[in-house]
Amino acid sequence: MRSAASGKGALAGGRAVYIAMLAPALCLLFLTVVPFLDGVYTSLTNEKLYAGVTRFIGFANYLKLAQNPTFWIALGNTLLYAGLATLIQIPLGLAVALLLDVPSKVQWFFRSTIALPLLIPPVVAGLMWKTMMQPQSGVLNWLLAQVGLPPFSWLSDPQTALVSIVLIDTWLFMPLAAIILLAGLQSISGEVLEAARIDGANAWQTIRHIKLQALKPYIVLVAMFRIPDALKSLEIIYATTRGGPLNATRTLHVMAYEEAYRWSSLGRAMAIVFILWILSYVFSTILLSLWRKEEMRFHGR
Amino acid sequence: MAFALMCSLAGLTVAPGPSWAEVNWKQAEGASLNLLLISHPFVDALKPMLADFTAKTGIKVTFEELAEQPGFEKLLADLSSKTGAYDVFMTSPLNNWQYASAGWLEPLDEFIANDKLTDPAEYDVKDFIPGILASGRWTLEPMKGLGEGKLWAMPINAESYQIAYRPSLMKKLGLEVPKTYADLLAMAPKLKTEGPDGPIHGLITRFDKYWDLPYLTFGTMLQSYGVEMVDASGKLQICSDASVKATEDFVKLIRTASPEGAGAFTWDQAMQGFASGQYVMSLNEANLFASVYEDPKQSKIADDVGYALTPLGPDGQRAAAAWVWSMSMNSASKQKDAAWLFLEWVTSKDVMVKMHLAGNMNPVRQSAWANPELAAKVESWGAEPGQYRKVTEEESAVAAVRFPPHPELTRMLDRWAEAVQKSYFDNGNVRENLCAAQEAVEQMLAE
Repeated sequence: MRSAASGKGALAGGRAVYIAMLAPALCLLFLTVVPFLDGVYTSLTNEKLYAGVTRFIGFANYLKLAQNPTFWIALGNTLLYAGLATLIQIPLGLAVALLLDVPSKVQWFFRSTIALPLLIPPVVAGLMWKTMMQPQSGVLNWLLAQVGLPPFSWLSDPQTALVSIVLIDTWLFMPLAAIILLAGLQSISGEVLEAARIDGANAWQTIRHIKLQALKPYIVLVAMFRIPDALKSLEIIYATTRGGPLNATRTLHVMAYEEAYRWSSLGRAMAIVFILWILSYVFSTILLSLWRKEEMRFHGR
Repeated sequence: MAFALMCSLAGLTVAPGPSWAEVNWKQAEGASLNLLLISHPFVDALKPMLADFTAKTGIKVTFEELAEQPGFEKLLADLSSKTGAYDVFMTSPLNNWQYASAGWLEPLDEFIANDKLTDPAEYDVKDFIPGILASGRWTLEPMKGLGEGKLWAMPINAESYQIAYRPSLMKKLGLEVPKTYADLLAMAPKLKTEGPDGPIHGLITRFDKYWDLPYLTFGTMLQSYGVEMVDASGKLQICSDASVKATEDFVKLIRTASPEGAGAFTWDQAMQGFASGQYVMSLNEANLFASVYEDPKQSKIADDVGYALTPLGPDGQRAAAAWVWSMSMNSASKQKDAAWLFLEWVTSKDVMVKMHLAGNMNPVRQSAWANPELAAKVESWGAEPGQYRKVTEEESAVAAVRFPPHPELTRMLDRWAEAVQKSYFDNGNVRENLCAAQEAVEQMLAE
């Protein structure tokens, strides 16, 4: 009797635990899935903040985007920005991580200083660099002038604006790459490095054949953080060029932001945001599977 | 559709001083108002005076102050959610065409007519410069009805556009202030010199890809060339011959007399660039920037700045754009009487004068223009006594809001600005760029 009763009690207690665990999970699901689906639905409407009546218009927003040359420019800029940022930041971060991995008395100082840009909000960084890149009064052109170089247009020339913003992005986020890669370097067993040294491997051979091999999953991890983040980048671009000059720095996120907050067109803005979400999702999924493969290959788990 | 924004300001009489005898200013005591303010000299002048309003009415006031872009974005989010977080906010006709269409603004005529809230003699609504007050009226019909219908906003200052120049540098270069755009084009290659801190460039004006380019600054040049966005029959004129000519001349001026980066200058860069002494001339920028140029704390050229009328167009015509900052009441406000008492107080004769004296230019009330203290304050502005006031008054006589009211006018004008910028950056020819913009605007109007 006693055991049956306690069994029932345990069952009831177990159910309570399940319910207690299920409730927050459902809440979380509700708070993420419902707004997401609402956003997708909005992209299928002609919703404008100032217009009283909203109609379901199917894929009209998407079709209009496909016919809009600015959309294709923005898509190209988005991919270019994310590609350039990642391609510059990973090798640079790797170089910095290798330097920070060299034992030295001042290592702690450089390790803490390298992370400083990460503490600055992107909007602030954007405004700060905009001032420094100002063609007439900015410090960057003053520095160029000191070595006899002519002034550079930085953010105000369609040919150079996107690259200038990628430079700001690199200043801000390269430390993230460096810190992750440094963690990777420090996970390499000292015995392996010692064995390589005894076998006569020089520094370059150690980096190439041991460190870089061990870092592969970490490099993919950096790409996994940075690519979706760069695809969604908005603050730096809006603080510096607002998508201009012309459409030189107009990315999908800038375009969506302007549709929503300058022109009140929520339907069109959500269509752009949904396309951006698909892009981020595809890249994240590919990188996640690559990361798992690398982890499995190197660490056997 | 176009209407003169400002009347002639000469010879106006001063109305009697305030007494506020007829209105019980304590009738909403205990209420608490929240304002959304956009950073501007008006706000700098207002903040120290808010305690006076609270002492007079017992109404507490809190506010948020934001830059123009984030301010309007935050306001849009609040107004569309209809929470009424802001009872009163700074705005403009261009914004109000969207807000009023959505039903987010409270019409103000009834508050003015309510003698429990407003003493008609004391408030004296006829003292507002008629064109400026009328810019806040609209019938809500797209593309028409400006200056008619309900009053959606109370004006707090107005600006037009004029030339600012450095008299010492013009003299050094042996140049006279240009009377026409042809004169300006002819002198453009000579507008440069060396200063103590490096090269001094010819012209500065805003040139980013936003609506304020065809609406305000370059808009002033367009209008002097006889270009309106739509003609009397309602046909778009974005790629008319006159518009092409004005755009070609503008692009040529910037290419000849402006430095690197001119194709992306915003209004604040234009203002600060001129105040920093790096330019000979500021072309068709806001006349109220004078309060910055004349302030030695903010300007390197406070003792060397002059003002001149905008040049005449090819047919000897002068026109100028106009911008009105105003305050509106949120239709979702839960304390509308208190909100009106604030609007009434802030736009009253004596409060307006105090704020103009503190730097909020230019007056929207005739009595403020006639105020001797204010006249004395601006008397020294310019290359010779009274120059700023004379130029501002003459420019005001032709200044007008010449654009058709439409909730999506900013989208259309952004597209127009893109065509002008594209012409500067050498992408296609000017006519092709403007005609592509006209076609895009036609589609926007058809939607």
